[in-house]
Amino acid sequence: MARHCETFDHTADVGLAARADTLGELMAALAEGLTDVLCERSAVRPAHRRELRVEAEDVEALAVDFLSAVLVAFDVDHFLAAEVNVSAASETTLAAELRGETYDPARHELKDEVKAVTYHQLRIARDGGEWTGRVILDL
Amino acid sequence: MAKGFEGRIEQVDANRWRIPKDCRPNMRVDGMIYSSSALIGDVIDGGGPEQVANVATLPGIVGASLAMPDIHWGYGFCIGGVAATDVEAGGVVSPGGVGYDINCGVRLLRTDLDAGDLRRRLEALVGQLFRDVPVGVGTGGPFRFEKAELRELLAEGVGYLVRRGLADEADRAATESGGCLPGADPGAVSDEALRRGRDQCGSLGAGNHFIELQRVETVYDRDAAEAFGLAEGQVTVMIHSGSRGLGHQVCGDYLKQLRSAPGRYGIDLPDRQLVCAPVESDEGRRYLAAMRAAANFAWCNRQLLARQVRKSIAKFLGQAQSSLGLRQVYDVAHNIAKIETHDVEGRPRRLCVHRKGATRAFPPGHEELPEAYRPIGQPVLIPGDMGTASYVLVGTAEAMAQSFGSACHGAGRVLSRTAAIKAAQGRRIDKELAAKGIIARARGRTGLAEEQPDAYKDVDAVVECVHAAGLARKVARMRPMGVIKG
Repeated sequence: MARHCETFDHTADVGLAARADTLGELMAALAEGLTDVLCERSAVRPAHRRELRVEAEDVEALAVDFLSAVLVAFDVDHFLAAEVNVSAASETTLAAELRGETYDPARHELKDEVKAVTYHQLRIARDGGEWTGRVILDL
Repeated sequence: MAKGFEGRIEQVDANRWRIPKDCRPNMRVDGMIYSSSALIGDVIDGGGPEQVANVATLPGIVGASLAMPDIHWGYGFCIGGVAATDVEAGGVVSPGGVGYDINCGVRLLRTDLDAGDLRRRLEALVGQLFRDVPVGVGTGGPFRFEKAELRELLAEGVGYLVRRGLADEADRAATESGGCLPGADPGAVSDEALRRGRDQCGSLGAGNHFIELQRVETVYDRDAAEAFGLAEGQVTVMIHSGSRGLGHQVCGDYLKQLRSAPGRYGIDLPDRQLVCAPVESDEGRRYLAAMRAAANFAWCNRQLLARQVRKSIAKFLGQAQSSLGLRQVYDVAHNIAKIETHDVEGRPRRLCVHRKGATRAFPPGHEELPEAYRPIGQPVLIPGDMGTASYVLVGTAEAMAQSFGSACHGAGRVLSRTAAIKAAQGRRIDKELAAKGIIARARGRTGLAEEQPDAYKDVDAVVECVHAAGLARKVARMRPMGVIKG
């Protein structure tokens, strides 16, 4: 169950590049990568859980909608996701569990403000035996 | 990082570069980039011209797909882009032509304070503002609006705050569109957007947003400066912020809702980020109604920020606000789509004018201007980077003829955030600014590095190009004294 996510440089913004064995793992890696952009994720405790269910017309739209939901959880309820597990994923539906906690200025160092998850040069695809994804965040 | 441009760019004159419409099969009009020989190299490398050409394919576009001299790459539309579509001819509206931060914009306050007198207490005043005004990621403001109140605010804009005693009539009058776009429908704004906005009205946010104390360094046009209440040596306060999470969510919601619209209306798009729908369609009308609500929210945000800034300055100086001459010069939107009437090919047409990283620059005599500015023209507020300068310009009749009454919106980025952070490694940006007499405070660890002066184009060159092209005329140049950032 290998998965990996890193950031790449993009004009005014930042991108997430991830790869994983399965689509679910890929989505989870991207969501954790998003938290890494928002804050120092290692300081976030997986104390509370939240469930998310997302549906979309294709796998790329699914990624935008899922990551947007993770972003909204932070923006509305200040919920930071330390760990993300995707229990079920097809190319059009996804069910995930976020484990994390509410932002605490005393313990969490926030990094960048993410305005939105964009469609620009968005790519979610299966390459051979592995899933890869590239998503650009608007900061 | 260089993206280049594979089409053709022809120099028209010292300040204009054309992408002819025959260079791509689907372009309906030419592209026209305002730039200078000194700036155009970076413009081409930055990928903006490709986007100017893409926008030229949108249904109903008239005149040309325009880009201001601060052009740089954006989502779908470039930043610095201006595109007008003819509503009656099936013209479209595109959320990508407005951007995620709906009605991101700038407000300028003038004061009777002398910059020389303030210098001694500058550091303490910047500290006071930094404590009093909510800035940074995840930081809400002291104003919390319940859902019903928020709906009224979205529908009425700054007028709602006047009614609540949180703004005065003079501020409302000195705001583009009186701080309210009619036709805003809070019902078109999702619950998620309302929840994101409920505690964010009156907070600065992060990224490139700032509050800056400035000194008016040079006045170029005495009559206009006098009309705007500006004089050399005086302190001004500039506020740059937008519609916060509410606006970002509205844009995201409608990019999603419009994903299938191009297919339904037979619109072939070169980039998914350009999704659009005819202005006169259910989808188009609904987006515009929600966008207007978000724009009204942004004007209220800057109004409440200005309220906190004034209070903080008055408290710090131990003087009444009224004795400080803290009057609003103007407030402009630079990410917005508006229905305006412009002459196209000799006849007036109702257009949907997208300004994405572009500022309205209406000429003297325009009925949209507050009475005090009608003989002079609209103040055009151009924030620069925090180490160089910002400008006030004034709208011209030529801008109406050339650019649907639009000018640039800032300096425009040249370095990515990551590249800026790398360039700042081993340096203390705050100390470098302090050596230039600028006190900067930021909440985030990387904020000052990402926003360092080197990350931006030369604002003087950008403004010079706008001035020389006749899109707006220089009135005053302000030097930063103190900056607070998220």
